[in-house]
Amino acid sequence: MMLLARASAGLIFWAFGFSVLYGLHGIGCAYGWPSTEVGGGNLFRWVMVASWLLLCAGGAALIWLAKAAPSGLERRLSLTSAVVGCAATFVTGLPVAVTSACV
Amino acid sequence: MSALSRHRALTAIWGSPRGWRGTVSSVNHSDIGRRFILAAFAFFAIGGVLAMLIRAQLATPGSAFVGPEIYNQLFTMHGSIMMFLFAIPMFEGLALYLLPKMLGSRDMAFPRLSAYGWWCYVFGGSILIAALALGVAPDSGWFMYTPLSSKAYTPGINADVWLLGITFVEISAVSAAIEITVSILRLRAPGMRLDRMPLLAWYLLVTALMMVVAFPPLILGSILLEVERAFGWPFFDPLRGGSPLLWQHLFWLFGHPEVYIIFLPAAGVVSTVLPVMARTRILGYGWIVAALLALAFLSFGLWVHHMFTTGIPHMALGFFSAASALVAVPTALQIFAWIGTLWKGRPELKLPMLYLLGFFVIFVLGGLTGVMLAMVPFDWQAHDTHFVVAHLHYVLVGGFVFPMLAGAYYWLPHFTGRARIPLLGEAAFWLILIGFNLTFFLMHLTGLLGMPRRIYTYPSDMGWTWLNLLSSVGSFIMAFGFAMFAVDVALQIFLSRRARRNPWGAHTLEWAMPLPAPAYNFASQPRVADGEPLAADPDLPLRLARGEGYLAEIRHGWRETMAVDVTTGAVDHVIILPGNTRLPIITALATGCFFLALLFGFYWLAPLPLVAVTVLGWRWAWTLGWREEIGPVPIGAGETALTHREAAGAPGWWGSVFLLVADGTLLGSLLFGYAFLWVVAPNWPPPELIAAGLPQGAVAALAALAGTVLTRLAASAGVAGNNAASSRWASLAVGAQAVVIAALLWLGLAELPAPTGHAYAASSWAMIAYGVLHAFIALLCAAFIRARIASGHIRKGRVLETSVAQLFGDYAGLATWLILACVLAPLVLA
Repeated sequence: MMLLARASAGLIFWAFGFSVLYGLHGIGCAYGWPSTEVGGGNLFRWVMVASWLLLCAGGAALIWLAKAAPSGLERRLSLTSAVVGCAATFVTGLPVAVTSACV
Repeated sequence: MSALSRHRALTAIWGSPRGWRGTVSSVNHSDIGRRFILAAFAFFAIGGVLAMLIRAQLATPGSAFVGPEIYNQLFTMHGSIMMFLFAIPMFEGLALYLLPKMLGSRDMAFPRLSAYGWWCYVFGGSILIAALALGVAPDSGWFMYTPLSSKAYTPGINADVWLLGITFVEISAVSAAIEITVSILRLRAPGMRLDRMPLLAWYLLVTALMMVVAFPPLILGSILLEVERAFGWPFFDPLRGGSPLLWQHLFWLFGHPEVYIIFLPAAGVVSTVLPVMARTRILGYGWIVAALLALAFLSFGLWVHHMFTTGIPHMALGFFSAASALVAVPTALQIFAWIGTLWKGRPELKLPMLYLLGFFVIFVLGGLTGVMLAMVPFDWQAHDTHFVVAHLHYVLVGGFVFPMLAGAYYWLPHFTGRARIPLLGEAAFWLILIGFNLTFFLMHLTGLLGMPRRIYTYPSDMGWTWLNLLSSVGSFIMAFGFAMFAVDVALQIFLSRRARRNPWGAHTLEWAMPLPAPAYNFASQPRVADGEPLAADPDLPLRLARGEGYLAEIRHGWRETMAVDVTTGAVDHVIILPGNTRLPIITALATGCFFLALLFGFYWLAPLPLVAVTVLGWRWAWTLGWREEIGPVPIGAGETALTHREAAGAPGWWGSVFLLVADGTLLGSLLFGYAFLWVVAPNWPPPELIAAGLPQGAVAALAALAGTVLTRLAASAGVAGNNAASSRWASLAVGAQAVVIAALLWLGLAELPAPTGHAYAASSWAMIAYGVLHAFIALLCAAFIRARIASGHIRKGRVLETSVAQLFGDYAGLATWLILACVLAPLVLA
């Protein structure tokens, strides 16, 4: 089962990050975070961008950890999963930096 | 023992009685798999006839062929049948029939569960078809959006037929998913490491795992909508704090992964058949496995792209649009691997290859229009037009039907033991290909010209007339093609000459047996040392028939098959499978009575079949196992292994784990719904919140903790052989779970507002009901342990039953704590 766990780890991490961003988006909009000014921006944008960058960093750390998997199919799947997870976290989270918040 | 005597003895053990007795009692995977495939094809034919009626109606503007009421039923049933009664069951049938053969096993892990799933499928499907014949079929579209499907706008039983009939059928899908997962992980030939598995097994494993987590949101949505319709609990009614968008979220949380659940098994067929047709090995085995894992996960992040026009904020649209575009990458990787395989090999243009080429063309076109629709601005223009209808048919027919037709021609000799009659299949292929493209390519254009979906007629001055007429002509050409395919198959079954063994020169294990396949698959099970066993050892079939593999010895009339370590494929233990029984059909009938009682509004009667299902479930578990000590048994090659009752990690434990994963997903979906309503739904906060209840909550929480601990103590005492202590702990666990049930009900009845007033109360009550049900299941498990100790079935070293009871005890405790946290949160936070 370790093979399957390692092969899924990066993708599970993406799923977790995706859920966190979507959940924070719903909560932030419901509780009016975009109208709270903080440090030259609004609370909503700060929270979203910070969460996204943290998640990307977590994804990168997983790639580093995946290199320790046993060689062969297990390492290939672990590494691919981690790289895909990290890249997907970056791409699917990108809207937090470029789109309007709650409209 | 000679090969012939072994064949006769094994057939007597694994076969089914002739006539109706065999029909109702067989649990053999080949029988059940064949039935699934035949029934799915029959439903496909019904769905196809409905499509013909739809196209007849749309062939000309202002047609009076059918009215809007009938037309609504036609397109709803066409979609529902094709998705729930054809595509999923067809792949289940293929998996049930083929998997043990490809994995070098003799059967699936839970033969009675396969049979139960089969009967649920056929009974549930029959309810839907009967409703169609009686003119009361579902008519709100195959995704049953509220409020159209709510009581106010669908007052008849049409929507109930869908909600209850489909949920009944979904029992079969979840059963199959658990069955397939555990079978692939544990029931392989010794030596078959995960990286030596046939690619189809990888595809089916990933698909089954997706089903375990994709179906529960829809099951939950169906339960909630049915409860709203039946009892007025307003989960989806915005006037009372509900939200129609909650239904869409729950539906598409299932609905989008469903597309990949349908595509992946067919892609597995492509990865199996294509290298054989190209006379080479598949290119990029590891990359394909990685791609399908990525595809499986990413497919769960796309569901909102079906809701782009519901007013969701741009940022959320961006998340899902990006994920929708991203999913094309692993899909493309597989396409390139297949093209590379063709490039590397020496392809032969045999009939399965023709269908694979058709698949390439159609599926790639469907994928490209999918990327177009993933872009929000384009989706806003094309949403709910015939462009979407064209896209989804290109993806589903291209991605499922064409590969399955390739697979049908590839494996038909395995099913029938006969060769195909030349040319008829080729003619059918061209009719299907030309008819399909004529029908659906033009539909892109009608969509781009603005023709909406689900309209029963249109005026003649819209410019859609000739396109629709040609589409209808194309659909009838396609229907002729499918009819010709059916005739071709019938001729092969009844008239054709016998096929030789392994007619394609394939290298996977399903071809290492006589054709048609015997009931036991392998006279002895192989040891696998290569990803393509027949390439590495062409004499393997002969040696297996001579009994030179595992489990060649026949003893006690047992149905034996090997279980292996998940990753390494090392010998782990011997599984003794249950034989033919009528329990599955009787349990399915009782289950069906429950659904029928709800359908006809006899709510007072519904508990009776539930009690019957509980009693049958108890009987189901009770008839397994034995009192005697068995110990290690010889398995061949001078090796011995324990039987599954005495070994850790038996299939029953694994099956329970995956069942609880599905169950946990349902609970997660319920908690998501609760949170979603709090954050998004109108008319919140509710007029009345929970005002007290901490004492009841504390009692429930402590009793849940006690129930979990006591079940664990009972389990460990039972395994240690301390029967008196185990029995005592189990009795106390029963008591603790009874206290949980009482405390939860007390909390709900005394402190929660009436569930009909507001979605908050309805959601809270739904969580309480979930907790009560699971405490009751844990209670039954503890009671079962106590009874089995008394009967002598549980003794020192027997871990299976106690470990399963422990799983359910742990889960019930965890669920109760989570539910209490959510129900009491408004009180604590206030």
